Amino acid sequence: MIGRIRRFDWTMFGTILVLLVLSFLFVYSAGYQSGEVSLNGKALRQVIWALIGIGCYAAAAAFDYRKLKDIHWWFFAGTAGALLIVLFFGTSIYGANRWFSIGGIMIQPSEFAKLAAVLSLAAYLSNPATDPDEFGTFAKAFLIMLVPFTLILIEPDLGTSMVLIPLTLALLFCAGTPLRPLLILIGAGFFGLIVLAVWLRFFPDTCPFLTEYQKSRVLVYLNVSQDPLGAGWNKLQSQIAVGSGGLFGKGYLKGTQNILGFLPRTVAPTDFIYSVVAEETGFAGSGLLLVLYTTVTVRCMRAAVQARDLFGRLLATGVGVLLFTHVFINIAMTVGLMPITGLPLPLMSYGGSFMVTTMGALGLVQSVYLRRRTI
Amino acid sequence: MMRIRRIKQFPDLRIYMALTLMIAAYLLLFGSLWRLQVGKVSQFEDRIQIQSLRRVRLPGIRGMIFDRNGLCLADNRPTYSIALFLENIRRSGPWVNTIDHGMEVMEQVSQVTGLTPVVDREDIRKHIHLRLPLPLVLWRDIDRRAMARFAEQAGEIPGVDLYTQATRSYPYSPYTSHLLGYVGRADPGSMNEETRYNYYLPEMGGRAGLEKLFDPFLRGEAGGKIVQIDVSGYHHGELARREPKSGGDLRLTLDMEVQLLAHQALGTNRGAVVVLDPNNGDVLAMVSGPGFDANRFVPYITSEDWKLLSENPANPLLNRAVAGSYPPGSIFKPIVSFAASIVNPEAIHTVYDSPATFRIGRRVVHTHGLGEVNMREAIKYSANVYFFKTALECGWEPITEQALAVGLGEKTGVEVDYEAAGLVPDKEWQKKTSHGGWTDGDTVNLAIGQGFLLVTPIQMAMMTATIANGGYLYRPRLVQAYRAPDDEQFTESPVRRVGKMNWSQSALTTVRGGMHDVIMEPDGTGKRAAVTGFDYAGKTGTAEYGNQGKKQTWMIAFAPFENPQYAVAFLIEDGASGGTTVGPRMKILMEGLYEKIKTEGRVHS
Repeated sequence: MIGRIRRFDWTMFGTILVLLVLSFLFVYSAGYQSGEVSLNGKALRQVIWALIGIGCYAAAAAFDYRKLKDIHWWFFAGTAGALLIVLFFGTSIYGANRWFSIGGIMIQPSEFAKLAAVLSLAAYLSNPATDPDEFGTFAKAFLIMLVPFTLILIEPDLGTSMVLIPLTLALLFCAGTPLRPLLILIGAGFFGLIVLAVWLRFFPDTCPFLTEYQKSRVLVYLNVSQDPLGAGWNKLQSQIAVGSGGLFGKGYLKGTQNILGFLPRTVAPTDFIYSVVAEETGFAGSGLLLVLYTTVTVRCMRAAVQARDLFGRLLATGVGVLLFTHVFINIAMTVGLMPITGLPLPLMSYGGSFMVTTMGALGLVQSVYLRRRTI
Repeated sequence: MMRIRRIKQFPDLRIYMALTLMIAAYLLLFGSLWRLQVGKVSQFEDRIQIQSLRRVRLPGIRGMIFDRNGLCLADNRPTYSIALFLENIRRSGPWVNTIDHGMEVMEQVSQVTGLTPVVDREDIRKHIHLRLPLPLVLWRDIDRRAMARFAEQAGEIPGVDLYTQATRSYPYSPYTSHLLGYVGRADPGSMNEETRYNYYLPEMGGRAGLEKLFDPFLRGEAGGKIVQIDVSGYHHGELARREPKSGGDLRLTLDMEVQLLAHQALGTNRGAVVVLDPNNGDVLAMVSGPGFDANRFVPYITSEDWKLLSENPANPLLNRAVAGSYPPGSIFKPIVSFAASIVNPEAIHTVYDSPATFRIGRRVVHTHGLGEVNMREAIKYSANVYFFKTALECGWEPITEQALAVGLGEKTGVEVDYEAAGLVPDKEWQKKTSHGGWTDGDTVNLAIGQGFLLVTPIQMAMMTATIANGGYLYRPRLVQAYRAPDDEQFTESPVRRVGKMNWSQSALTTVRGGMHDVIMEPDGTGKRAAVTGFDYAGKTGTAEYGNQGKKQTWMIAFAPFENPQYAVAFLIEDGASGGTTVGPRMKILMEGLYEKIKTEGRVHS
């Protein structure tokens, strides 16, 4: 037991705790209206979610991750089933069936499905029977990924489903599959994106696959249309919020973009929490937050390197990549580097499902680290 | 076996590669953040200001106007309005929800205060679209009772509050309205100024009288505030404020006591009274009748009220004291006397027969017959034929010369707008206006202040003052002193003495003596104006005009006879005669002035 505690990655856990505290502070700030002193509901609920998250983290860390090799399919099937059910019985918000409402709590199965995909892909790729050199491995890995991908895509939730692609590619890469097909796939992907962008740029009306609002978001991103009062509003206001933060920000609870409601109140505590941080704490604070995320990412990959077996290695890599993808896409959209997608910022954004899965996933990484090779 | 070896071979390389890629991506984010937050700050600061800050102009505070004793004639009265603060009653969803709620709140307040709503849905809608961050005034200038009810019972109704505004008020309005004029909502000074503000609250601008003439001086300096609005446009908070500044104050030469006396003396007659201090040209009173209540113009006059005033045949808006041109009639005769005395110093002793008929060419003038009179008696009796003969003897040029020299035919320059110049006709004017050549008939008309000669009451008051003070010419002064916005003390405006008439002492004595007899002798034409114990002088005048025998009736007077303090011109339109119509009214004024002199201990006799 003493040994376990000594082997525990305190740096990673400490960083996570700091992020959770910041999450509470800025979810509170995002819901703050000047003159209102009482704790608002979201900040309080976020504390509860964080506490549940810490519980999950501890449980996952204590749990021997190797046992997952045998039961991951149950988890995978369970989340896939939930995704299927949510399509028919979920609560529809803004025309998207993404949530279950259980006792007033909204549960988003797609968040759990991401973790399930990591587990199943890691388990499949680390299976001794799987030969990474075979093309079949490639195809099967993508098939595993495609199950949740498709189900999430038709919810529709393009942003969340897209996260699965870099995750799969990264796991295949780290599992040691040949580079050429990977590179071809990545190249083809980028080519496809460019074709789509060009198509959208010049013939936006005939472009397939995308819904109207997705098209308009991409067009805003490509600077084709500004539409500052419509699709461009969030991008513009988020950029103004981040930009006006300056070096040291306007001070905690003093972000006018947020207080005055220019940053829409519905998304400020969730997808645009980073804008609130950036506006109120400036480059100093938002940069520090990036350093914290970099630290967590590095510690995940360190756990992967020191993992006792290939499953642990891929599991830690998968979680690290998943976290990175969310952080990168979220912040990139906040500063206007990417089109607006509804991806939350791990550990910061308000929301229970994602908080619980992220904490659970990071707990598994701790579990991998605790059971690392001893030299 | 192959696979295991490969992992052993590149144990961690791919993980490190993946990590490197991710760290590179994080660095990219760092770079973008730096560029956005540190590199381009000002640009986004500007955008925030553009979208969330609104500049509101606060009207300047208008300066005040006092009489010579410090009595306030034009004040800024605080008025209380009930205003709706929309940010406190906002409802989510479409605007119509907020409008509905606003109507409900107004209904509640209406029930509590008993005020009938004057604002409708459309007004609220317009306010929301145009001036959302500003309070919407539901009832302007409510009375004390409504205010008390509001304060007692409307405390719990959210979103409504009392709202104080400074409103121009004229405590002595009907007595001072022509002089002071009035204010109305001012036009923006310049387009530039308007565009600097998102919400331009204009101040009151002078529209007539002193308010208009001294508008730039009286108008204060506008202040401003910067309010922050939220994304829906509601008022969120005030970030900065610059208080508006007061304008300058004026102190007039006007003496409200005299002004009230003059007003009382004029009564309900159509006409004008001007009282001057003959020693310096100060305007002590200036009354025009009928008058109007200038408070009705603030903040704006209703169209019915305006119609009543502007279409009234008695023309109450006209300041007859300076803007009315009238034939002077016999009050002009002193000028004829002076002209004759200048041509021939012995003229003051000349005796003429003054019969009831007088023939000039083919025209026969019928007038009152008096027999042989000298100049002093001619003034006392207002003997027309005497002055016909005097004028024909000395010629018309010296008379017009004297008339012009004493200030007729040009504006006196008193600080009142729309001043009329009057008219002193001469040969050139007659020719220019196709009234034919100058004939003896014109000279005879001029001799008794008839014909084309036109004067204003203030000109007649100035002429009287010149006779009273021994020939000194002043420009009338209405503004005694002014105090610029930052000054503690008033600065006196100068007394403007502009010259002296070349009247001989003997001529002055004769004319003044004649004028003394007009009032003081029991058979003088102005005997009805006599005040027991008060020694003063005057002259009556009755000028026919038009073709229906209508008459403008006049009196001029200066008092006391020795060491004069007051010079008066008194006009009543369409009277019977100067002596009978104006005489009794002049008496009322002089009685008051006599009392005033006595109580102030200024009696010299």
